[in-house]
Amino acid sequence: MVIEYIDYRKCNCCGTCVLRCPVDVIRINREEKKPVIRYPEECMSCNFCTYQCPRKAIRVGRDRPADTVMAWG
Amino acid sequence: MPATDAKEFETDVLVIGGGAAGVFAAVRAKGKGRRVLLVDKGGIGSSGCTPWVTEMAVFNEKWGDSREQWMDYCLTNGDHLLNRPWLERLLDDSYARYEDLASWGLPFTQTFWGRPHRAGFPSVPSKSLVIYHGIKNIPDVLRKKVRESGIETVERTMITDLLQQDGRVVGAAGFSLDRDRAVVIKSKVTVMCGGAASFKPSGFPVASLTGDGDAMAYRAGAGITGKEFVDVHWTYADHPAWGIFQTHKFLHHPWPMKLYPFSRMPVPLLKSLFKNVKGDTVGGAGLETGSNIIFEAHEGRAPVFMQSPVPGTKFIYHRELVGGASCGMAHHKAEGIWPIGTEGGTEVPGLFAAGDALGSMQCGADYRAVTGMSFSGSACQGARAGEAAARYAESTGEPHIDDARIAELTEAIFAPAKRKGGFTPGWVTQVLQNTMTPYFILYVKEQKRLKAALTIVEFMRDHLVPMLTAKDTHELRLAHETRNMVLNAEMKLRASLFRTESRGTHFREDFPARNDNDWFAFVKLQDVGGKMVLSKEPLPDEWKPDPSVPYEESYPLRFPGELEFLKGKRTII
Repeated sequence: MVIEYIDYRKCNCCGTCVLRCPVDVIRINREEKKPVIRYPEECMSCNFCTYQCPRKAIRVGRDRPADTVMAWG
Repeated sequence: MPATDAKEFETDVLVIGGGAAGVFAAVRAKGKGRRVLLVDKGGIGSSGCTPWVTEMAVFNEKWGDSREQWMDYCLTNGDHLLNRPWLERLLDDSYARYEDLASWGLPFTQTFWGRPHRAGFPSVPSKSLVIYHGIKNIPDVLRKKVRESGIETVERTMITDLLQQDGRVVGAAGFSLDRDRAVVIKSKVTVMCGGAASFKPSGFPVASLTGDGDAMAYRAGAGITGKEFVDVHWTYADHPAWGIFQTHKFLHHPWPMKLYPFSRMPVPLLKSLFKNVKGDTVGGAGLETGSNIIFEAHEGRAPVFMQSPVPGTKFIYHRELVGGASCGMAHHKAEGIWPIGTEGGTEVPGLFAAGDALGSMQCGADYRAVTGMSFSGSACQGARAGEAAARYAESTGEPHIDDARIAELTEAIFAPAKRKGGFTPGWVTQVLQNTMTPYFILYVKEQKRLKAALTIVEFMRDHLVPMLTAKDTHELRLAHETRNMVLNAEMKLRASLFRTESRGTHFREDFPARNDNDWFAFVKLQDVGGKMVLSKEPLPDEWKPDPSVPYEESYPLRFPGELEFLKGKRTII
């Protein structure tokens, strides 16, 4: 898998991962005021978030599933 | 998605892209007393290739470096097709930029005696300073410097188009990822630091680099160069999406950075396309012998390997490597906006460029054994472009843009979001990847295959790109990135067809040798009346390799089939 989960027991909701993700995978859930993995299909497994997270709350895996992408919608 | 009340900004110097080049440009322009605005589609300091920097090439005569040796080494490794003045500027400025970074707080590793540790091989003149835990420190240091300098920043905002008035660039427009609104920035001068171009490859962390800078500049009338060259970075054969950048160097063992020379992997003069390939790796496929390439023979893998530093083995970190991980990119500093002079100038008034968005050809037709020159190149070019832009801003008047033009552009930016039906950017990107990433398109090139790919890309340009859809700002970003990637694909294919020789990382199976008589030249692409026009821009004759030196010595690395081709024994397919 690409980005797998954010461990909310560790996460302090600082939002660093949102700003630092180069490909806009993580967004802030404005109601709950916490980061959520919104677009995992965009993740390039670069692990930048795991480095930047001050609480080491993000897990990124090794493999990338090849999703079916619809042409039109 | 609601559109489109535009948020407007006004500044003297607009810098697009917050990587190393962009930060240096912004800091320098600010230092000259100008108002500066730095915009990035992600976060400042975390852009593009910048987080992955591990070292910085620094030239310093006081450390015993010889300018002649560095130049000779780069010329040989870059197949002589260098923009020499830009390399000279790197040698002039790199030490000062190192001092800048050190004073900003970037930790460089030191020897036991407290001197900066210089990595490199004894036989190689170019040396790099190793940055301690760059992935953590570089983004933090650059970001802090931007904040301290009082530079205005706009983050998570994608710029899609440059604004022009009477041919002069007077700002840029785009949209915010978080606020569903257009962003219009009026500026006296713009510095493009938009980074490299890729097709969102799976094996290299450059999916944010979609050639936005090149595409915007091209649409504004700037020349583009270096598109025929390719980057040859590698990844693991068993986990292609989990490259070296994600593992040993950074993740599991950040500590060996201090012991870097002992864990260093690139081999000088061997790290290149297939010229490093020996008979015991993929020679069976015919690469070494120069016969036609039999694709099935590679068991589905690209014929691009990293040579192991251990003779007789093909593994690094106990793993097999394959190349082509960064498909779509040219090697550092090759592709980009056609440079005018060595101050970051371009052909378009009001537009400057630096870093990977500038086609400075600072390292020539290959990026071989010159590790660290990308980062120092971006720093040096950014600083120069920032200063030149500040001077330009001083001498020019306030920008004027028609409101009608802004309204028209805003409409176009949000068009994919308003379209009722069409093609998703994810799918169009996938079609593009399937067309462009097979190694027999951009790595092992041949006329018929290039033309076939170009036909598909032209169809995408005419029929898929105008029908891209987006359901939110994330997809809107993808739609604009896809549009830029399709343009980049067309440029890469046309430039590759145009250059009927092999040189550096550009390998034509049907023309497998360097041809100094016809091709000691850069290729320039330009939009002329809506048509992509290619031209040959010759380099000075005196830069050619010494004619009294035999060809094999001027160009010590062999392409498959090169010598046979030169002897006339191999016919063109």
